[in-house]
Amino acid sequence: MILLWLLLVPLIAAPLAFVLAKRPAMEFVNLAAFAIVLSLAGALGGQVLRSGPVSLLDGFLYADALSSLIVLLTAFVAFVCSVYAVGYFRHDEQNTIFVEKEDVLGEVASQKLRKYYSLIPLFVFSMLLVTLANNLGVLWVAIEGTTLASVFLVTFYGRKTSLEAAWKYAIIGGVGLSMALFGTILTYYAAHRIPGTETLTGLNWSMLVANASHLDKPTMRLAFILILLGYGTKAGIAPMHTWKPDAYSEAPVPVAAMLAAALLNCALYGLVRFYILTSKCLGPQFASHLLIFFGLLSMGVAVPFVLVQRSFRRLLAYSSIDHCGIMVLALGFGGPLGILGMFLHMTFHAITKPLLFFCAGNIQQHLKTDLFRKAKGGLIHSMPWTGAAFLMAGLAVTGSPPFSLFQSEFTILRAAFGGGYFLPAILFVAFLVAIFSGFLVHIANLVLGADPGLPKAEIGRWKKYSVLGLASVIVVMGFWIPSPLIRLIQGAVEIVASAR
Amino acid sequence: MSFLHDPQFGDRMITLMAALVLVLQIAMVGQRWLMTNIRMFALQSFLLATIAGTIAFFNHAEHVYIAALLTLFLKAGLLPYLLVRLVKRVGIQQEIEPLINVPVSVLISGGLTLVGYIVGDSFYHPEETSAAAALGHNTLAIAIALFLIGFFMMLNRRKALTQVLGLLCMENGLFLAGISLTYGVPLVVEFGIFFDLLVAVMVLGILVYRIGETFDSMDVSKLRRLRG
Repeated sequence: MILLWLLLVPLIAAPLAFVLAKRPAMEFVNLAAFAIVLSLAGALGGQVLRSGPVSLLDGFLYADALSSLIVLLTAFVAFVCSVYAVGYFRHDEQNTIFVEKEDVLGEVASQKLRKYYSLIPLFVFSMLLVTLANNLGVLWVAIEGTTLASVFLVTFYGRKTSLEAAWKYAIIGGVGLSMALFGTILTYYAAHRIPGTETLTGLNWSMLVANASHLDKPTMRLAFILILLGYGTKAGIAPMHTWKPDAYSEAPVPVAAMLAAALLNCALYGLVRFYILTSKCLGPQFASHLLIFFGLLSMGVAVPFVLVQRSFRRLLAYSSIDHCGIMVLALGFGGPLGILGMFLHMTFHAITKPLLFFCAGNIQQHLKTDLFRKAKGGLIHSMPWTGAAFLMAGLAVTGSPPFSLFQSEFTILRAAFGGGYFLPAILFVAFLVAIFSGFLVHIANLVLGADPGLPKAEIGRWKKYSVLGLASVIVVMGFWIPSPLIRLIQGAVEIVASAR
Repeated sequence: MSFLHDPQFGDRMITLMAALVLVLQIAMVGQRWLMTNIRMFALQSFLLATIAGTIAFFNHAEHVYIAALLTLFLKAGLLPYLLVRLVKRVGIQQEIEPLINVPVSVLISGGLTLVGYIVGDSFYHPEETSAAAALGHNTLAIAIALFLIGFFMMLNRRKALTQVLGLLCMENGLFLAGISLTYGVPLVVEFGIFFDLLVAVMVLGILVYRIGETFDSMDVSKLRRLRG
């Protein structure tokens, strides 16, 4: 029943927020809904650890350790973003960001908030459906649903540039997903000689994986390439990443954080499911080489843009392309160690990235710009908490010890040498170092330095709670990971690594 | 009416209609008027619905009938209607200005069709399956060609709405691939895809409308403020 409630809670929250339409009520509905989703996700993880995979409605919904890990991460990101969103939008409202020329009564403002608070639960619903759907076709429908639910969140501020960003997001996403659909259809065709696939459950992952060695091999080869391009577009691996910096810099901060930290995982989740089928059918070599190529390409593409970046919101987007590349690369290195590295990286990235976005949002709201040139540096004097947290998150996300992303990147490196991939390993380290230095120079210039004499920033308590809370989670996770989470990650690794 | 039960006859009908679908697709690349393009898309979708209906009839597959009906209502009826309404409301200039001129575009489409045949050929195993079940397998090449030409249309056109049309053509190619390879995907998925398609056209339509309002132009090559 947990599976059903996980989907129903956000699905109920969306129309409820729409009907209530008053700001405090909508805030409450969102916070409550995501708190419930988070605790349900925890309960689901516990149940999967105790008694193995859960399924419901004749196997229509299915959750094993892999899905419940992604559900947990998605629910966590959704919850912290909803806490931050309360403070973020109140600040926007007080500073009359929403008010347009002809808007006397503030109606546009409440309309916009209503749009945000009713679309976000739908967005989260689609992401949860991605992870819980057993049928690979339904998985595709749900990923397409995430695009559709979030397009109007990207246009939230209604600027010319946000329209442009949303257009790119929708069109590039649409093309990518049509490739993924083609790949899904081909996978279905690859299974057509296996008895029992004509029925409704023919595209169910649990059934396909049981018969993976009987899948038609040439078809699966083509299908995996299309799936990699398709879901790769959604995850933002190069060269299909161009929508990412635009969408991340134009969307409101809570939305951007969700796109970067939650949607990324869901898109990669789709890829991982097909990866398992493909390596069971064709052996791991074929998929590995493609994944290593695209992973390194994404990291390499991110390097120059990080080094010469002018806007800190776009900097975060390129960092996200880089991290997506790292995860894809880790999957390509494969082996229990590489896959462990990928899931660790996914987990740590999902808790670190939102903090970066929140700090960037605080700074942007304070300075009313996201360009380094206009920011002048020395932010630690006018916003001590945000500045310190931003610096810390910057160190964490570039993989410096003792923060946890160092552990995962080190694991991935070991997997690379263990698998005999020397050249990719050297490139991996080179890109990491380049991005480390570029990223930290930008952040340090922004946060440190002489006091430019800006007024002290007023950070509302919702914004402060979410920043401080998330920062303490990151510090704690650097030294201690709860053992159920580790077991969940190990369970997910077993599911993927058994494909070899 | 004995010919109605002869799979050979069904096969010929499907091949004929699939050929018409391809001709329409290439004509869309060559055609310069937006309204005509939308009507051609409607006609193409109608033909696809007929192909699906024929396959359903010869295989006695009920769920393909449903897919055919959905295609008929949604892609041959509702979506073109919405697009035409959008064109009228935004007052888009009627002429499409492709980046590459028409003769070369048509030539490229021909080349893409060839690619479709080469790729599709590797999936064509007529000897393995019974006559009725093999129906429409040879249309896979056309499906791949539709997909590629749709993609080319998106790259080749500057106006926002014509890019949407390209995306829809790619989807038509996918639908044809789906019914020719596996007689459609399971029905839940089919419903999901149609629902997504409807919502996607509405979302893109609203975006097109707002781009037209804000930029006083539908030319997406003017969307170039975000860089780096």
